[in-house]
Amino acid sequence: MPDIKMKKEWWLSIRLIHWSVVISVFTLLISGFYIATPITFGSGATPDKFYMGNIRSIHTFFGAFLTFLMLWRAYLGLFAKFHARWTDLLAWTDLDNLITQIRFYLLLSEKKPSHRYQYGPLQALAYNGLIFLQIMIILTGLIMVGANIHAGLSLWLGNFLKPVEIAMGGLAGVRMIHHIIAWGFILFIMVHVYMAVWIDIVYKEGTISSMISGRVFRKAE
Amino acid sequence: MNRDFKKRDRELEERISRDYQRMVKECDLHLDLMERELPPPIEPLVEQLESSGISRRSFMKWSAATTAALMLPPIFKSRVARAAEQFGRVPVVWLHFAECTGCSEALLRTSYPNIDDLILETLSLEYHETLMAAAGYQAEENLEKALHDFPGKFICVIEGALPTGLNGKYLTLGAKGRTGMEIAREVTSKAAAVICIGSCSSFGNVQAAKPNPTDAKGISDALGIQTVNIPGCPPNPINFIGTILHYLMFGALPPLDSLGRPIWAYGKRIHDYCERRPHYDAGEFVEEWGDSGAQKGWCLYKMGCKGPYTYANCAKVRFNDGVSWPIMGGHGCMGCVEPNFWDTMAPLEKPIAEKTFGGGEKTVDDIGKILAGVTAAGIATHGTVSYIKRHNQKDFAKPEDEV
Repeated sequence: MPDIKMKKEWWLSIRLIHWSVVISVFTLLISGFYIATPITFGSGATPDKFYMGNIRSIHTFFGAFLTFLMLWRAYLGLFAKFHARWTDLLAWTDLDNLITQIRFYLLLSEKKPSHRYQYGPLQALAYNGLIFLQIMIILTGLIMVGANIHAGLSLWLGNFLKPVEIAMGGLAGVRMIHHIIAWGFILFIMVHVYMAVWIDIVYKEGTISSMISGRVFRKAE
Repeated sequence: MNRDFKKRDRELEERISRDYQRMVKECDLHLDLMERELPPPIEPLVEQLESSGISRRSFMKWSAATTAALMLPPIFKSRVARAAEQFGRVPVVWLHFAECTGCSEALLRTSYPNIDDLILETLSLEYHETLMAAAGYQAEENLEKALHDFPGKFICVIEGALPTGLNGKYLTLGAKGRTGMEIAREVTSKAAAVICIGSCSSFGNVQAAKPNPTDAKGISDALGIQTVNIPGCPPNPINFIGTILHYLMFGALPPLDSLGRPIWAYGKRIHDYCERRPHYDAGEFVEEWGDSGAQKGWCLYKMGCKGPYTYANCAKVRFNDGVSWPIMGGHGCMGCVEPNFWDTMAPLEKPIAEKTFGGGEKTVDDIGKILAGVTAAGIATHGTVSYIKRHNQKDFAKPEDEV
């Protein structure tokens, strides 16, 4: 029987951020697709209804929540005392390891990539992409909030981001980019969930449960 | 705490009234200066109004409305009226480039002349290609005379985009066959201010829409100069008149946004002042032309209204003496005051979510669904192959901890 040790992989704040992001992204996707092509609520008097308004409020609220989560994660990435460093995102720069992982994922070789890094090389690359998507969707979202709410921080941000808005082709272009990136999130979620399940089965380290308990079960090397 | 607020309020009020008094003083001084320096109007506005049967009272009402539209306090009502009477003093050179003359038509032709039209008729047009009697070399002479008589004092109003391809040769004008670029460069360099009227001269409009074979551009892009843009297809006359009135009253052009549009007219979104907005928030949308929702005046978002992406004051000032405007008439806004609206706002009668890409018929959602399908297929293949490979391994039957 090999020596299996429990290792703490994800600290509490990372797990909290992960599941908060899951909740907000799913809420944002559903409410976002509703806003893009809304359903008409025909019955009842106009003053009694506020469907579109409420859904847009929910969308805006979770958008702000996602922004807060990103700032929190960025703070952890820069200053955390535990393992959440931004340098983990550079795991793909180890090209030998990257090639090993690609061969392993394509089922061409049995050799597993090194455990030296928090993320696998491809995982790190995917997260770089995700961070880019997140920054872009938050930026475009803030521009649209700025156009909607003419007061306080959102007004200031809207004015501050005006050059970005114009570079993207006005609010219509901003909205289009926002919509395209939403699909990027859907594709990311599909691959991310599949890879988590696959790795859970192949590595037998409890990858899925680790995002709840924070611990993986790893053979002593 | 309460006292602090009261004190602050009082200070604010004092500052505002001080600022207004200063503005009023500046305004009066500048109006006096204009009256001294510029020639009197050829046809005084008062006579124009009288002959058209418009009472002084209607004119004062118009002044009050225009003061409000310009976002000035009520004390400026009489100054706006005075400036409107001086409107004819400003020499104007009106150039036409690649365009349909729709803006001139919209400004000059109405079923009955309203005050806006009459004020525009007093305009001292030194040169206007559609309206002038002169032709050929005589017309060119008029332009040269205007440039010679009022150097640095006339306002250059431009209608139409500039094709810049083939060194500007897609557009040649007049007896001497000069290109639009040459004429525009010469006239704008001598003008006190350049006002681009209409979306063509502001941002290029349909001439600059993809694929833009003549490489048409708005004036400020083509010449690299700062212009005041009054976009719209056609623009509302009040936006043009208000800008000139501001120039007459304060000797300066109004504050502009980063696209060169006067903030007083283009600072707020159509969507935020739309009378159908409550139906948008309620979730009541017109689903097709002429359905029960359309009869009840519900929101046109699903019929392709681009009000949420468009900055203009149409909803507030409306057109033709405030009679109506597109959304009130039952068709969505098509965003004609925004740059490249033919490309960014397409399709015009469907929500922007149904924009197609790459010349095909696929929307973002179609492409997204295809990509999601490909991803799902990839996942299924990868999963199946992984499963088969594991099965074929000799030690598959044994759990790993027994190895």
